[in-house]
Amino acid sequence: SVQAREEEDNPQKTMEVNGLTPVPDSYDYDLIVIGGGSGGLAAAKEAAKYEKKVMVLDFVTPTPQGSSWGLGGTCVNVGCIPKKLMHQAALLGQALQDSRKFGWQFTEEVKHNWMTMTESVQNYIGSLNWGYRVTLRDTKVTYENAYGEFVGPHTIKATNKKGIEKLYTAERFIIATGERPRYLGIPGDKEYCISSDDLFSLPYCPGKTLVVGASYVALECAGFLAGLGLDVTVMVRSILLRGFDQDMANRIGEYMNEHGVNFIREFVPIKVEQVEEGTPGILKVTAKSTAGDQMIEGEYNTVLLAIGRDPCTRKIGLDKVGVNINEKTGKIPVNDEEQTNVPYIYAVGDILQDKLELTPVAIQAGRLLVQRLYAGATAKCDYVNVPTTVFTPLEYGACGYSEEAAVKKFGEENIEVYHSHFWPLEWTVPSRDNNKCYAKIICNIQDNERVIGFHVLGPNAGEVTQGFAAAIKCGLTKEQLDSTVGIHPVCAEV
Amino acid sequence: MGWEEVQVRGYAEFVRTAQGYHGRPIFALFCGDKDAEGRSWCPDCVTAEPIVRKELHNLPDDSVFIYCLVGDRTYWKDPNNEFRKNLKLTGVPTLLKYGTPQKLVEEECFKAELVRMLFTED
Repeated sequence: SVQAREEEDNPQKTMEVNGLTPVPDSYDYDLIVIGGGSGGLAAAKEAAKYEKKVMVLDFVTPTPQGSSWGLGGTCVNVGCIPKKLMHQAALLGQALQDSRKFGWQFTEEVKHNWMTMTESVQNYIGSLNWGYRVTLRDTKVTYENAYGEFVGPHTIKATNKKGIEKLYTAERFIIATGERPRYLGIPGDKEYCISSDDLFSLPYCPGKTLVVGASYVALECAGFLAGLGLDVTVMVRSILLRGFDQDMANRIGEYMNEHGVNFIREFVPIKVEQVEEGTPGILKVTAKSTAGDQMIEGEYNTVLLAIGRDPCTRKIGLDKVGVNINEKTGKIPVNDEEQTNVPYIYAVGDILQDKLELTPVAIQAGRLLVQRLYAGATAKCDYVNVPTTVFTPLEYGACGYSEEAAVKKFGEENIEVYHSHFWPLEWTVPSRDNNKCYAKIICNIQDNERVIGFHVLGPNAGEVTQGFAAAIKCGLTKEQLDSTVGIHPVCAEV
Repeated sequence: MGWEEVQVRGYAEFVRTAQGYHGRPIFALFCGDKDAEGRSWCPDCVTAEPIVRKELHNLPDDSVFIYCLVGDRTYWKDPNNEFRKNLKLTGVPTLLKYGTPQKLVEEECFKAELVRMLFTED
């Protein structure tokens, strides 16, 4: 039988030994999950419920700036959680401004302390990291803070931060290694730029910031940094929020621009140089137009790259076990049961090809997969009509088709779009914009005017969207929507 | 140099003591007061204490274990007591690694595995 053993300097020998066909009954584990993020932890905890012997491997390769974090994955450490908390910090800043119109009196100018916010956020994240470790230990899931990679059939090598290697075998594997921010590949990018992996634990205020990218990561970060009072510029290569409804995307950009975020459109950085060291220092960015030969330069304290994320699938030994990946994108194609081309190897989360990159999707997929494997369940993850929210200064919630996608799928003459601006009651007294908040639904005329797309731009968009997502899942039609009495006075009644 | 234990009573003494050991890893167990016979009013604390004590040999070198009696039951039940307000304690017993978000509360303290994890892992 094959056992876990320490292997310090001879992986080749180990592989030869492992080449002796392992006897099925004596795998070290029923299931090994590579990656302790949203998908991986959900799957591991679920498997433990069915009394399977489970191991989770989680390891964070430090960023070029040296940032690292604990168990829980992207969402908990450098994604959704800190993002929403910092977005909230920015909203509270706005609320303080509004409060004067509602009668609150304070004479001092209100300022923001980056370190106070960041310490509180990191403290909360720390309690989540600890909570996951307690849960795993309590449910008898073995957790190792080690980098997992396949070295042969049913066998992985786990390397901890001290370089010590151990081998483990399992009947089945779930790959849930997630993604990391992409770099530009230009001089100075890794030396001087930061990414979202660094931003939420940055031990100094970023100051005047250039955000490169037009993804939701870029816009959300630019949004809250500006909301905290920083000078923010966003450099966009072409369009905003690719893949999202473009009319909504442009409204978001317009709102941000009118509220203090500078945009440089149709430029890409070609080099980043350090003018002055410091925390933060001063960086000089040179950029070239995508529409001609024009070059521009700018100086910033911080350059934040948010140009995309790449799956962590290239260095985990997938070639050793024959798992196919999309060579261009690194994503793993799976069938509708999250199974790769190798029957005993599954995958969940952001690394999946053609699936939504969202925490709740990964959790749902992980749980249902494990229930199918060990509890005889048959339910598959439903990737259709998944609601999302972009937490830009003016929040955007959506479920279903964008207008462009609906037109493409059903034809312009077969869809009807109903839309409306609205002015949140809470914005009236402080005289905030009366023509920015906006909602639209897209209906399929041929199917009883079924609501196939829901879009709302306004405060608490996430809270508003969640309920409508359930309605859409039940087949909401325009008539049903019309006959639902509104709650007054709330934004959602529009 | 191994680990050492210090016993304190009440919030002020706890804070003073913890500050005095600044720079060394500090672990603290908070329990309800004991009567003249050495029995605590807090039944979970009675259960947890021997389990925690059994794992103390796992404490890292140079660390300090502060055994802190928080007060009588009335004091503890007051939602504004200093332990709740300043240290954010939600129950007794609480076993924590001072200055970090790592802690075990109530029945979690009964599990030797978790106590060991708190003492030995980062």
